Amino acid sequence: MKEYNIVITGVGGQGVLTAANILGWAALHAGYKVRMGEVHGMSQRFGSVVSYVRFGEEVYGSMVPEGKGDVILAFEPVEALRYINYLKEGGMVVVNTKPIVPVQVSMGKARYPTLEEIRKIVEEDFKAKWIGFNAEELAIKAGHVVTTNTVLIGALTQIPEFPLDAEHVREVIRLSVPPKAVEMNMKAFDLGVQAAKEILGL
Amino acid sequence: MAKVTDMVLWDKPGERVLLLGNQAIARGALEANIAVYAAYPGTPSSELTDTMAIVAKKAGVYMEYSTNEKVAFETALAAAWSGLRAMTAMKHVGLNVAADTFLSAVGMGVEGGFVIMVADDPSMWSSQNEQDTRVYAKFANVPVLEPSDPHEAKEMTKYAFELSEKFKHFVILRTTTRSSHARGDVVLGELPEEIKTGKRKFGNFKKDPSRFVDVPANARKFHPIVLEKIEKIREELNNCPFNRIEGKEDAKVGIIAPGLSYAYVKEALHWLGVDNVKILKLGTPFPVPYGLLEKFFDGLEKVLIVEELEPVVEEQVKTWAYDKGIRIPIHGKDLVPRVYEMTTRRAVEAIAKFLGIPTPVNYEELDAKYKKALEIVPPRPPSLCPACPHRNSFFAIKKATHSKGIYPSDIGCYTLGLLPPLNAVDTTVAMGASIGIAHGLDVALNGVPGEDERKTGKEKKVIVATIGDSTFYHTGLPALANAIYNRSNVLVVVLDNLVTAMTGDQPNPSTGQTPHGEGRRIPIEDVAKAMGADFVAVVDPYDIKATYETIKKALEVDGVSVVVARQVCALYRIGQMRRKGEKWPIYYVDEEACTGCKICINAYGCPAIYWDEEKKQARVEPTMCWGCGGCAQVCPFGAFKPVEGGEE
Repeated sequence: MKEYNIVITGVGGQGVLTAANILGWAALHAGYKVRMGEVHGMSQRFGSVVSYVRFGEEVYGSMVPEGKGDVILAFEPVEALRYINYLKEGGMVVVNTKPIVPVQVSMGKARYPTLEEIRKIVEEDFKAKWIGFNAEELAIKAGHVVTTNTVLIGALTQIPEFPLDAEHVREVIRLSVPPKAVEMNMKAFDLGVQAAKEILGL
Repeated sequence: MAKVTDMVLWDKPGERVLLLGNQAIARGALEANIAVYAAYPGTPSSELTDTMAIVAKKAGVYMEYSTNEKVAFETALAAAWSGLRAMTAMKHVGLNVAADTFLSAVGMGVEGGFVIMVADDPSMWSSQNEQDTRVYAKFANVPVLEPSDPHEAKEMTKYAFELSEKFKHFVILRTTTRSSHARGDVVLGELPEEIKTGKRKFGNFKKDPSRFVDVPANARKFHPIVLEKIEKIREELNNCPFNRIEGKEDAKVGIIAPGLSYAYVKEALHWLGVDNVKILKLGTPFPVPYGLLEKFFDGLEKVLIVEELEPVVEEQVKTWAYDKGIRIPIHGKDLVPRVYEMTTRRAVEAIAKFLGIPTPVNYEELDAKYKKALEIVPPRPPSLCPACPHRNSFFAIKKATHSKGIYPSDIGCYTLGLLPPLNAVDTTVAMGASIGIAHGLDVALNGVPGEDERKTGKEKKVIVATIGDSTFYHTGLPALANAIYNRSNVLVVVLDNLVTAMTGDQPNPSTGQTPHGEGRRIPIEDVAKAMGADFVAVVDPYDIKATYETIKKALEVDGVSVVVARQVCALYRIGQMRRKGEKWPIYYVDEEACTGCKICINAYGCPAIYWDEEKKQARVEPTMCWGCGGCAQVCPFGAFKPVEGGEE
C-alpha cells in the first residue's frame, strides 16, 4: 500500500480530532509512516472543521491534496459536501446522516439541503460510494452520544480496501478512552461495523 | 497510545511516536537541555507552550505564561544573557509585539542559546493578517530555520540552540499552521541528565554595560557586528544538516524548496511522475548559503523556487545569480501564488507549468464540480459556544445601546460576536486595540471635556469597547491608562472568563494560577479603580437583566466606565464537569408556550437552538445545550424550561 488518505469532516466539538488521532495511532502501530493535519484555535468553535489522516510507505504533506482522498469520513451531512473536493473520483463517503443545522439556516438566511440532494452530488458528480446512516442514534444506543465518532470509525474499517485491521483499530480505541468508557465505546464500534456491513451487503 | 505529555518526556531514545509539530519542538528543546521558557499563547504556537507548561516542573525547566510576547521575549532573553539555553514562542503577529525588544537587542547577542519560535499562519486560519516572519528575520539579520515535518522540527530545534550558542546570536525557528499543527512520526532522541533528573539550572549574568546598554555610543557598534555575524552564519549554513541537494545530479532543471514547501514539492514530483530534476532542500530560507547555491546551479538550465508567501528566497537567489553573472531563467512568484498557504495542488500546478506537462488531476473539471456542490452547502462559520457568557454580554450591550452604539472589539473568541445575529463587533485590529480605537473614535466623533465643541446628548455617539481578560493584561492596560488620562468618554466592557480561552484555556493574571501553582490573581476592577476610571462595576453575564442594567448605568456616566462581565468560560467549565462526571441542567422548548417569535434565534443566536421548520417553533438540541439558561431569560413567553434531572 503506497498511501491512504482520509479526510475527516464535521462540526467543532463533535470529536473529529479525537477520531483522527485514533486512526493516526492505529496506522503508526501498523508500521506506516503517518502525517496528519488539523486546525486549532478559533476555527474549531462550532464551525466547520476538517482533519486529514495520511499514511503509507511514503507520505509527505499533512494535508490530503485535492482530488487524492480515498475516503471522506463525515460526522455531519453537509460537511461531507463542503470538503468533497478532496475526494478522488470513485472514492468513498462514510457519513453520519444526522444534521446539525447552522444558525444561519435557523435564521432563514440559508437553506439546509435534503439528504437526497447531497447524496446525488456525491454519487453522480463525484462518482463516489455513499455509506450513510444515523451514527448518532447508534451512539446513543451504545450508551452516549459522545461515542458517535467511535461508531463512524467502526463503519470506516469495513469499507473495501481499508488498509488497517478492524481489530487493531478497536484495540487502539480501547487503550485511548477512559477506563469507564471502554465498554460503551466497544459497543459503539461494533454497531458501526454492523451498520456498514449491512449497507455494503457483507 | 500513551499520553502526549508522557511521550514528550519519555526516556526512550529511538522510540517512534506520533507527535504534533509543536509537541515535537518541545521535545527538541528538552533534548537541547533548555533552562528557561516564557511565552504568551497564540495560535498556531500555543501547544508548544502548553506542552512546556505540563513537563517543565518534571524537567527542571522554568516556564511561564507571560502577559504578552514582549515581556516573554525579555524573560527568555535575560536568561540567555545569563548563559542558559532559553526559548520564547509566539505567533507571527506576536513578533510585532516583541519587535521593539527584538530589534534593539539583536546587536547585543546572547551567551546561552536563544531560540525564538514564531508560528506563521498563511491563509489566516486563526489570525488577523498574513505576514511572513522570514521578512522580519532578514530585517533583523537573524537566521531562520524552517522545518518540513514534525521529526525535523524536533531535530532543528536542537540545532537552533547550537547555532545560536556558536555565534552568540538570535535564531528564529519559523513554523506555519501546517507544520505546527501537523502530526507525524517522530523518533525520540537522548535527553540530557539534567532534564531526566529534573535539575533546575541557574545562570550567571556578567555585567557589561558596553554590551547590554544600548545608548547611541554603544548601539553604533552593534549594526556592523550583526552584519558580520550573519555573513559568517551564511557560510556556516553551507554545512547545515537541513540543507541538501538531492534528486538527479546531472539534471537540467532545478527546484528550490524551503521549509514545508519541500514536502509539497516532493509529493508533487512523485504524483507528476517526474524524476529528472535536482532539488535544493532548504531548511534555512534566510540566509541562503551561497556555496550550496553554487553547487546546485552547476549544470542547470532553469530553476523554479517553490516558496509560500513572500519571495524571500527568490530575491536572495536572484541577487546572488545576478552578481555571479548567471543568466538562466529563475522562476518563482510568477508561477507560485504570493498569498495564502502552499498546498500540494499549488506545487503541482507550478511545476507542471514550469515543465510544460499536464497535471494528474483535471483541476478545471474538479473546480467546476466542486463549485456546483458548494451551491447547496450553507455557511457554518465558527460561533460563540452554547452557554458562552460573552453572548449574554453582547446581548445586554446591544439592548442597552438600542443597537445604535459603535462597538470596537478585540482579539479573542469574542471576536465571533461579529457574526449575526449579534453583530456586536465593528472593529478588531490587534491585541488591546479595542480601547485605543474606542478612545480615538470618541476624540474623532464626540470631543473630550475642556473642548468647546464637545458633543453631548443625542448628538453624542455611544462607544462600547469589548476586550477579554487576557487581552486586557496583554496590551489593554496602556490603552486604558491613555483613555482615562485623556478624559475619554467610553464604556469598556471586559469580558472576563477567567482564562485565555481561544488558544486553549491558558491561565493569565485574571486566573491567578501559574504552572507552578498559585500565582497572584489581579482583579480587573482593582486595576480600573487604581487607574482612576469614573465608573467601575462587576456583573455576572449569566444574569442578563442585571448586566443590562449595569451597562445602562455605566453609559450615563461622563468619563471612562469599566464593566467587568465575569463568568467562567463555558467550554472550560463543561470540560471540567465532564472529567468529574458532574451533571448540568439542559433546557427544552415548551411547545405550548413557544409562539415562534424567533427572538431566541434572530437576536440571541445560541447554536444549541434551532428552528423546527414543520412546527414553526424553536427547539433545543439536547446534545449541545450547556445549561446557562440564557434562552429562558431572553424568551418573552417563558418557553424555555430546564429538563428534569439534567444532563451529565
